[in-house]
Amino acid sequence: MSQPTLCSLCKEVATVHLSQVIHGKVTKVHLCESCAQKGGASDPSIFQLAEALAAPHSEPKVVCPKCGFTDQDFRKKGRLGCASCWEVFGDSLQLLLAKVQFQPVHVGRTPPGFLPLERWRQRLEAARLEMSKAVAKEDYEVAARLRDEITELEARLK
Amino acid sequence: MRSPLVCGMKSQNSKPASNNPMSIDEILTSEVSEEHQPIVLSTRIRLARNLDGQPFPGWAKAPQRKEVADLCVDALHQLQRLRKGHVLRMGDLPDLERAVLVERHLVSKELAAGKSGAAVISRDQTVSVMINEEDHLRVQVLRPGWHLRGTWNLAEQLDDAIGAHLKIAFHERLGYLTACPTNVGTGLRASAMVHLPGLCMAGHMEKVTRALSQDGLAVRGWLGEGTEAAGNIFQISNQQTLGLSEEAILHHLSTWIKNLVEQEWNARRKLALDEGEKFIDRLARSLGVLRSARLLTSAEAMNLLSHLRLACDLGCLPEVLRAQVDRLMIEGQPAHIQAKAGEALDSNGRDARRAKALREALRDFPEITEPTV
Repeated sequence: MSQPTLCSLCKEVATVHLSQVIHGKVTKVHLCESCAQKGGASDPSIFQLAEALAAPHSEPKVVCPKCGFTDQDFRKKGRLGCASCWEVFGDSLQLLLAKVQFQPVHVGRTPPGFLPLERWRQRLEAARLEMSKAVAKEDYEVAARLRDEITELEARLK
Repeated sequence: MRSPLVCGMKSQNSKPASNNPMSIDEILTSEVSEEHQPIVLSTRIRLARNLDGQPFPGWAKAPQRKEVADLCVDALHQLQRLRKGHVLRMGDLPDLERAVLVERHLVSKELAAGKSGAAVISRDQTVSVMINEEDHLRVQVLRPGWHLRGTWNLAEQLDDAIGAHLKIAFHERLGYLTACPTNVGTGLRASAMVHLPGLCMAGHMEKVTRALSQDGLAVRGWLGEGTEAAGNIFQISNQQTLGLSEEAILHHLSTWIKNLVEQEWNARRKLALDEGEKFIDRLARSLGVLRSARLLTSAEAMNLLSHLRLACDLGCLPEVLRAQVDRLMIEGQPAHIQAKAGEALDSNGRDARRAKALREALRDFPEITEPTV
């Protein structure tokens, strides 16, 4: 008798078999009843997990300097390690976001006191203009204050 | 003796969050809800938020999770709405009490399964903030009936108040940063719990589910992801959180719920009209089984009670009894049955207790009559 297929997540006997075809590439995932019920069958990250399992010895290519989370960890868990991971894994996340989200850009609420970058950029341009005017008028006190503000804004926008 | 559900906060610089510990009895005896609408059972808003500079709970080490829990509990305790709230640390609660909280939709199965999670719950149980679930904070506002605007307004106020006390992880282009890419952006999951026996009996549910999912809405069972739709009750929520404003998400859900409510009423009227006596017989038989069964599984009880709820909506039973049916649905859940019994029971023991409780509760129920709606 042939060996039963095992669950990709917990190695129990698999009873749910999923296939995903992207650009002609077929990925198969096998789940036991319990893992399928836990939401695995509807979780898009399950296919990323399958890819990770297919290459268990591959070295992580990207590591978050802040929390040590790797691209391999992401493929296994389908979750990120910290807020900085969003910058570190940006490119691969963009592809995923394009699949699961409406648009890749946030258009909703912001935390209290948050000023959008565009507003900072506008202020930086205005401050540069004001500073050149102050220098032309030889108003060095104002120019020095504006120079400090410009330095701060440039650092913020970096 | 049952253990208290609440423990004081662990942080050094804070006072205990609640002077009146919440006991399992308080949850069991609290009214399920003050409002019982025909189709929409409840409206829920959930916001996923994380603290800036801290690893997400699934990647954090135990001391980091504890630090986050203490920070969050301290901050939440300063909010007017939660000042007198209950602080529940999952690691301190027995399995059964955590299961009761899940059945009351006050915490998720995922939070209850871990030891390092906590929840701060308002005394009226409308607001529940989960700490160290998949994200540092999951702010939930749950109200009976269909009140999307009011529920959202309260969630928005809480979100602003939390943002004034804690630095929240936010990115200009990606919005609120979350552990899972399916929550990033607004971090908003808006949902309605709906009772759709008409659409189920008419065999339309598969079609409805397909239409909803093609239009960006998820359909789940009674206890959320991966659970069965016992009792013809479904949770409908938005799938996408990024690229849509909160207003757009709420408007989309609202449009669909209004549409579903209308379709459900149409299906009910058509069933009552087309099937006539056969339809009433179906409801009457459900009451009969509930009144005399000696063993009832949770799913069977939910399905039979769903018929009684439908009977109340259609005037086949007095409308005032809907509240009692809702209470029986909650109290028939496995953890509630065992908490009431004061001991852990095997499935046979639970089925016998459930059947007995239902026989007694429905002994004096009036007979099913012709629909009036």
